[in-house]
Amino acid sequence: MTFVKRNVRWPPVMAALLIAALFLVALDERGSGPITSLRRVAREVISPLQTGVNTVFNPVRDLFDGVLNYGQLRDRNLELTRNNEALRGKLLRERAVGSKVGELEKLLDLPTFEDATGVAARVVGGSPGNFERTVLINKGTTSGIKIGDPVVAGSGLVGKITAVSRTVATVTLINSAGFGVGVRLENSNERGIAEGKSGESEMKLSFLTNVQVVVKKGELTFTSATEDAVFPPDIPVARVVSTQKLTGDLEPTITLKPVVNLDDLTYVKVLR
Amino acid sequence: MMTRRLRLFLLVLSLVVLQTTIATHLHVFGAIPDLLLVATVAVAYNEGPQKGSLFGFFSGLVLDLFLVSPFGLSAVSFSLTGFAIGTFQSGMAFQSRRTQVLLAALGGLIAGSIFAIVGGAVGRAGYFSLHSAQVIVVGSVWNAVVAVPIFMFVRWALMTERLRRY
Repeated sequence: MTFVKRNVRWPPVMAALLIAALFLVALDERGSGPITSLRRVAREVISPLQTGVNTVFNPVRDLFDGVLNYGQLRDRNLELTRNNEALRGKLLRERAVGSKVGELEKLLDLPTFEDATGVAARVVGGSPGNFERTVLINKGTTSGIKIGDPVVAGSGLVGKITAVSRTVATVTLINSAGFGVGVRLENSNERGIAEGKSGESEMKLSFLTNVQVVVKKGELTFTSATEDAVFPPDIPVARVVSTQKLTGDLEPTITLKPVVNLDDLTYVKVLR
Repeated sequence: MMTRRLRLFLLVLSLVVLQTTIATHLHVFGAIPDLLLVATVAVAYNEGPQKGSLFGFFSGLVLDLFLVSPFGLSAVSFSLTGFAIGTFQSGMAFQSRRTQVLLAALGGLIAGSIFAIVGGAVGRAGYFSLHSAQVIVVGSVWNAVVAVPIFMFVRWALMTERLRRY
């Protein structure tokens, strides 16, 4: 037990720190090159230490996960085996039917998902902050990855690269607040924007080209084919989980669930 | 014998590595502990508002290097939190482990709120939301959980005769 009397009047330096910090915030929001470079250098400097810690920590984490989730893992394995068989059959059927959209895209000479080459990467961490939905992957500029590259996992879109150094890169997930993806609906081909909702794993579909369109539960959305789109067309993005239109609403409230489980990513592919 | 500056550098480096590796796997209801913020609270607790805010500013800037949120946002929230905790603590008659835990939680509430308010003010989507409130509260509990070892680490880094008495 003690009592320490201190002089707590210190506004000038506090004010200087605040002004400096707010200046940096404003500078970064305007897209400052030196700050981006500084971030890249910091990530490069620290990445060997991160790799070391992850190398030691990951087996421990995997062991705990394996022991704690043994039942879940076994059930999931069975489910995935069943799904795999079903998908093989569906793939063969779809090959026979062909895709009208795909044919049109070929006519327009737009790059497709299948055309894109990719770099496989392992997810080595999540976001170090509480206000963003990102993951860290173990590949960077040495593997040809650059800011803006789309990232996919086995069944669909994951996000895009928003920061990169030589050996690691940060992927901002599609369900981050403020993240928008141009999509088309599976049945009607109507276009809209799939947007992340703050703190929720689900997304919302807005700015539909035709607000009268009938949207069915379970319908898929794919990245849409436009000339300057960030993402190649036809990547599955999300599935419609609910649709609701209240009296007076200009457009229906459509909720989407990402096709990929973004809370449980292990490997991803960065498209180039 | 390591100098105090070197120990503080090692403190920040260790915590930033832990924050960007192990801490990222500790999600509970969308929140993780904020190790550098707890260190800022510990410095403010031990050294008062001036050094608390200075340490908060620089450790916040270091953390900002690894986030995609605006650079300087953590620096704003950590430095103000360091100042507030240091000011608040200097008027307290009792200091104990329980106080450290409570101050770490309080620091999480202050810093999280400032981060959300300033982030929302500069136009970042989703910072003003119910989810942010949830993350701030859960994150504060996490900060309380990790407070004791980080306070010990900070005390080692500061290493003064006066502090050794505690």
